[in-house]
Amino acid sequence: VITNYEKNCYVGLGNTIEIALHKCFGLSTSSPPLDVISEGVGELSLVIDTEVAKKACQEVLQKVKLLKGEGQSTLVTTKPGLVNGTGHIGSSDRDSRRLCTSQKIGEEEAPSDTVKSARRRQNNNSSKQSWLLRLFESKLFDISMAISYLYNSKEPGVQAYIGNRLFSFRYEDVDFYLPQLLNMYIHMDEDVGDAIKPYVVHRCRQSINFSLQCAWLLGAYSSDMHISTQRHSRGTKLRKVILSDELKPAGQRARREALQPPPPCHHGQGMGEHGLSPSKRTHQRSKSDATVTISLSSNLKRTASNPKVESSQDEVSTSVIAGPVRLTPQREFIKSLMGIGKRLATLPTKEQKTQRLISELSLLNHKLPARVWLPTAAFDHHVVRVPHTQAVVLNSKDKAPYLIYVEVLDCENFETSSVPVRIPETRIRSTRSVENLPDCGITPDQRASSFSTVPNYDNDDEAWSVDDIGELQVELPEIHTNSCDNISQFSVDSITSQESKEPIFIAAGDIRRRLSEQLAHTPTTFKKDPEDPSAVALKEPWQEKVRRIREASPYGHLPNWRLLSVIVKCGDDLRQELLAFQVLKQLQSIWEQERVPLWIKPYKILVISSDSGMIEPVVNAVSIHQVKKQSQLSLLDYFLQEHGNYTTEAFLTAQRNFVQSCAGYCLICYLLQVKDRHNGNILLDSEGHIIHIDFGFILSSSPRNLGFETSAFKLTNEFVDVMGGQDGDMFNYYKMLMLQGLIAARKHMEKVIQIVEIMQQGSQLPCFHGSSTIRNLKERFHMSLTEEQLQVLVEQMVDGSMRSITTKLYDGFQYLTNGIM
Amino acid sequence: MSGCDAMAQEKKAGLLRRTSSSKKPLKEKVVLMYDEIFTKDDPAKTNPRFWDELFLMKVNLEYLEGKLESLDGDEVMVVKDNINSLFHHCVLALEEEHQIKVVNALQTLCALFRGVHQKNKSATGFDIINMLVGFDKAELRMKDLMESLDSLLCGDGSESLKSLCLKLLLCLVTVTDNISQNTILEYVMINSIFEAILQIVSDVSSRGQHGYDAVVLLALLVNYRKYESVNPYIVKLSIVDDEPTLDGLGMVVHQALTEYNRQYKNKEEENHGGFFSTLTSMVGNMFIADTEEKLSVQTNEAILLALYEAVHLNRNFITVLAQSHPEIEMTAAPVTPIPTTPTSLGTTPPSLDMMHNPELPLDPNLQTSNLLITFLKYSSIVMQDTKDEHRLNSARLCLIILTCIAEDQYADAFLHDDNMNFRVNLHRMPMRHRKKAADKTIPSRPLVCAVLDLMVEFIVTHMMKEFPMDLYMRCVQIIHKLICYQKKCRIRLHYTWRELWSALINLLKFLLSNETTLLAKHNIFQLALQVVSLFNMFITYGDTFLPTPSSYDELYYEIVRMHQVFDNLYCMVLRVSTNVGQWKEPASKVTYALVNVRAIINHFNPKIESYAAVNHISQLSEDQVLEVVRSNYDTLTLKLQDGLDQFERYSEQPKETAFFKELVRSISVNVRKNVSLNTLSQDVLLKEFSSIS
Repeated sequence: VITNYEKNCYVGLGNTIEIALHKCFGLSTSSPPLDVISEGVGELSLVIDTEVAKKACQEVLQKVKLLKGEGQSTLVTTKPGLVNGTGHIGSSDRDSRRLCTSQKIGEEEAPSDTVKSARRRQNNNSSKQSWLLRLFESKLFDISMAISYLYNSKEPGVQAYIGNRLFSFRYEDVDFYLPQLLNMYIHMDEDVGDAIKPYVVHRCRQSINFSLQCAWLLGAYSSDMHISTQRHSRGTKLRKVILSDELKPAGQRARREALQPPPPCHHGQGMGEHGLSPSKRTHQRSKSDATVTISLSSNLKRTASNPKVESSQDEVSTSVIAGPVRLTPQREFIKSLMGIGKRLATLPTKEQKTQRLISELSLLNHKLPARVWLPTAAFDHHVVRVPHTQAVVLNSKDKAPYLIYVEVLDCENFETSSVPVRIPETRIRSTRSVENLPDCGITPDQRASSFSTVPNYDNDDEAWSVDDIGELQVELPEIHTNSCDNISQFSVDSITSQESKEPIFIAAGDIRRRLSEQLAHTPTTFKKDPEDPSAVALKEPWQEKVRRIREASPYGHLPNWRLLSVIVKCGDDLRQELLAFQVLKQLQSIWEQERVPLWIKPYKILVISSDSGMIEPVVNAVSIHQVKKQSQLSLLDYFLQEHGNYTTEAFLTAQRNFVQSCAGYCLICYLLQVKDRHNGNILLDSEGHIIHIDFGFILSSSPRNLGFETSAFKLTNEFVDVMGGQDGDMFNYYKMLMLQGLIAARKHMEKVIQIVEIMQQGSQLPCFHGSSTIRNLKERFHMSLTEEQLQVLVEQMVDGSMRSITTKLYDGFQYLTNGIM
Repeated sequence: MSGCDAMAQEKKAGLLRRTSSSKKPLKEKVVLMYDEIFTKDDPAKTNPRFWDELFLMKVNLEYLEGKLESLDGDEVMVVKDNINSLFHHCVLALEEEHQIKVVNALQTLCALFRGVHQKNKSATGFDIINMLVGFDKAELRMKDLMESLDSLLCGDGSESLKSLCLKLLLCLVTVTDNISQNTILEYVMINSIFEAILQIVSDVSSRGQHGYDAVVLLALLVNYRKYESVNPYIVKLSIVDDEPTLDGLGMVVHQALTEYNRQYKNKEEENHGGFFSTLTSMVGNMFIADTEEKLSVQTNEAILLALYEAVHLNRNFITVLAQSHPEIEMTAAPVTPIPTTPTSLGTTPPSLDMMHNPELPLDPNLQTSNLLITFLKYSSIVMQDTKDEHRLNSARLCLIILTCIAEDQYADAFLHDDNMNFRVNLHRMPMRHRKKAADKTIPSRPLVCAVLDLMVEFIVTHMMKEFPMDLYMRCVQIIHKLICYQKKCRIRLHYTWRELWSALINLLKFLLSNETTLLAKHNIFQLALQVVSLFNMFITYGDTFLPTPSSYDELYYEIVRMHQVFDNLYCMVLRVSTNVGQWKEPASKVTYALVNVRAIINHFNPKIESYAAVNHISQLSEDQVLEVVRSNYDTLTLKLQDGLDQFERYSEQPKETAFFKELVRSISVNVRKNVSLNTLSQDVLLKEFSSIS
């Protein structure tokens, strides 16, 4: 049975034909209208042939005319025929899914609404069927096109159809455009909103993560509205619905209602204030511990008589039954991270900030593990611990962004997998005393013979005696266990010598030599600088850090242990960063598709509100400012120091990486007009890539309007030196990469423009300042130029940037104002 | 004169009271009722509502206690049933809804416990139980009592009521000087209130109001027959692993120690401020002794004992030490309720707001602090002056706690954590030959530096006639344990080791110059051996933990520079070890340990002399000596000593038992004193409940 609603959709589709046709013809004359490139259909021309399209439309029109007289019912029956005709969407399961979703929608939406719109559509029914439908149903129709039509089409029918069609795309694909979808939902007319809503609601029911992402984005993108309209806006309403947790999975909701509404204070693992009632946890814990002890020693039968123990049993059972409130733990987690950022901002010195950060995080640790996760991660996991002493405050003048490392255990599904059990901090250490650790190769027997002074232990000694986990987790720095002339050898000898009584001699010179050698062997690390606490932390190789933290963690022995990191930004608007991320990501996939070896690193952005969010840090990378300050070398010399001499493969690889990333980011900087390009905002990773960060000034906005940075992008002599100078092959390669990159980007311009254009809706962001943002952006793709002309353009831009005094000036300016080299 | 007046007045008052109480019509009703209890007959016989009415009366503690004390042997047997009955009804009244009755019952119980014990100081615990509760019913009654107290402590009732419950328990726990002789506590063992104590400590608001009493109570209960039997409080405390609870415990200790530090600082400022400071600077340091006298703020061993027990018994508590809290001392209100003052009901520490507020305050001037830092500061204050017995005990306990900390792997890990840097302002004794270091210049360093500083500070400031031998031993052992950890984990601490070396050499010098007086009391060879072993650690394992090659050179420089001390020490130990006597063996051990130091001296001295001769320099500069040292390593052979990186693990039994028994005794006496003052004043309480009822 096809529901009324769906029928309306198809009927409505007919209305679009005029506009669609017009559009089709209009577009075909100018630029590639539809980027219908897709693997497997390579022979299809990029531009839909006008004649073919016309023909197809006429055919459809004919068909529809024939059918018209037979009324609505026949139309319904022909519908499958139409679908089959396009040779697409045959699979019945998807149809049925769409069916049931629309049924669900029917339940949720006010039915009168659908009826009303149906009538409206019927009234101006032109009964023309569209080639558009064929396009929509074709393989070529991807999410990018769907978004584009949703945005550009004024036809409710098309919009509603696409809204339905969203269900057929892969989640990851739609997720990429979530900011666009939600921004349209908030700022565009009712029909677009109605088209999008069912999909969003459906996905919210399925996933907590999606729910929260939506809620955060809805909040952030509604924030530019006037406060009075904002309160009653569609976006705010939907946000409220999501956050009130009404959008539970249907099944769960039913089950929940069947049960007695559980008292909210019993959700055991929650981050919420009730979930953490310490006394309750105490009782649970000490109870279980007490039982163990009782079974171990009969002396403690007394404990059992304690009424507390029995009463706590009920608590345990209730907390098992009541599931955790769905969204609360994660929201609380994010809230506490943001709270920390807010409080840090009030402290004047980096040192105080760092200390406070560490102490706040250690308090946060008490609440972990919990059903919380980092939304920037690509896999399902539960956060189990924040190694608080590793956290660092990042360089910022007045805000307090900070970077934390987060230990997680990966899991099947963070919503359903059980939250890991807490392991106390001290569990890692096997014993309380140093002497009990297997030290430097001395076997217990040896120790016993050499060391017999241990007197009777306290009677409570068994309480902490030996711990199996601890036994496995002996922490000995790996590096030092290999060499045979190591001092540990002497310890063993010293033990054996006691039996043989033969003295061991060592040369003082050897000790002194080992000392200087060992210090020389440590890899190039940065020195500690209280004014720049993050430099050391960021310089440490990621793998090294992971190993170190894993060793020190009570969870480190678990096979599914992972380390993540995240930058918490509080007081910063990350919406522009998110926009930049999307554009970078889009260009990255365009270049990949067109096989241009440009290298860029889009890093994930999580917008939580219009003034807070999280950033996925780029690992193994430090800013060029930090590189120069710490090494006191030129960039080229630093490359030579880190990677080896000119002719080594390591250097050449690093150089190639540098060139490919430079070319990529120069294009990005040009296309997006990224400003504020000082060395603190450009990272250098351990493979030689540069990575631009901080997209606070893009498109129409630039810092303080000082008129600096007029060049297309930043290209300093130092950069050119690393590339091997202006006359080198690598420099030519660099320019060639830029040209290829620009040509490829131009080919898919619409895909890039679309991202930006939709986000401009209703936005007050500085990057959209003025009326010509999109036009200017389009112009920078230079659609009208030939490839030869483009090449000249690239040459000009490179020349201009190199000769640019403003870049140098800007660096000088930054050095004066922010101490950035 | 005024003293005489006061005494006379007191006497007068006493007389007045006695006369008034002898006049029957002026007697309070409650006193009359008490009198009825102290007869042979059951008071309920004549008045069936006797017990109901009794608990509605305001308690007259003095009278009741006095009455109990004045009973003689035969009378006791006569009124025993009535006393048992009173006890029974007290326990029953605890379950009353009428809060006044509960309050009065609690106070009456207090008086009963105290009065009966006062009366029967020599009696066995069993006699006391019999007299109070009656043998046959004791188990049941005490179970009921403990359960009632437990539910009052854990319930949502009035805070004053909870406070009173804790007072009663403190009173019960401290009625005897020696806690282990207090047989009634056996029932407190069986009917554990451990969970109630933890709950108080873990809850933010109750911790603020009752945390201090709860923690002291716990510390005392843990010490009940600690060495003789299994104490469930010990076992339970050792397995607590809930952070908020442990953290709460730490907060209470932190708060109390902070308060002490603050008071000390205030006094110090008082004494150094104003005309006094100008005066002192004028007449030089004549008044230093005087100032110190004034600076002695009463130490708080009870809370320190609690800290010790937590650190020693509970391995999870170690994490709490590093748990940062913003410096509380700066914002604390200038109230001084520790130890308990008679004016306030609770022994509540100040700055309640701080504890109430789960969010950390936003004062940018606050330095983040943690329990360990506060404890180190506290230690630096109490260690300054160890003449007074309380302070000596406190200092000893501080060092014992530090010993436990230094032995703990996790503690060592955060002590040495390069990412956790703090500025720790330790208090330094004002001394003639050195200036007070400006506080601001202290760099931010890993915490272990502060521990080492504290040890160095102790070493250089306690070389006196009343030589605190055992404190010195502990001190040097703590350093040794820390260095063992550094060696094992290859931690290269950027510490000015030179200060430590010179402090240790000066200590040896002091031992040498006071050999005869010291030997009369102490085995100084043991200490000398420890010190020399430390040097051996640096000499033979320096490559594993020294921060730079030049620091190794400096070590040699320091030894060569102070060679006279080592020479003299060698002569002395050689002399003693060749004689027959009790010191023969310990002295010969030192002789053996000195091998490397002497090898260094004998190797480098001639080299330095010849360098001076060749270059015609009479006095070599430090750089020149270091140059000689650097170029002559290769011809020097050292001998590896055995077991340098081994140490004896801290163990309370049997070595420290006597100390702890004595300490607990003194704490008990102190707590009892404060509690008795407190419970007598009930005005606040009654005011509160009269408005309720």
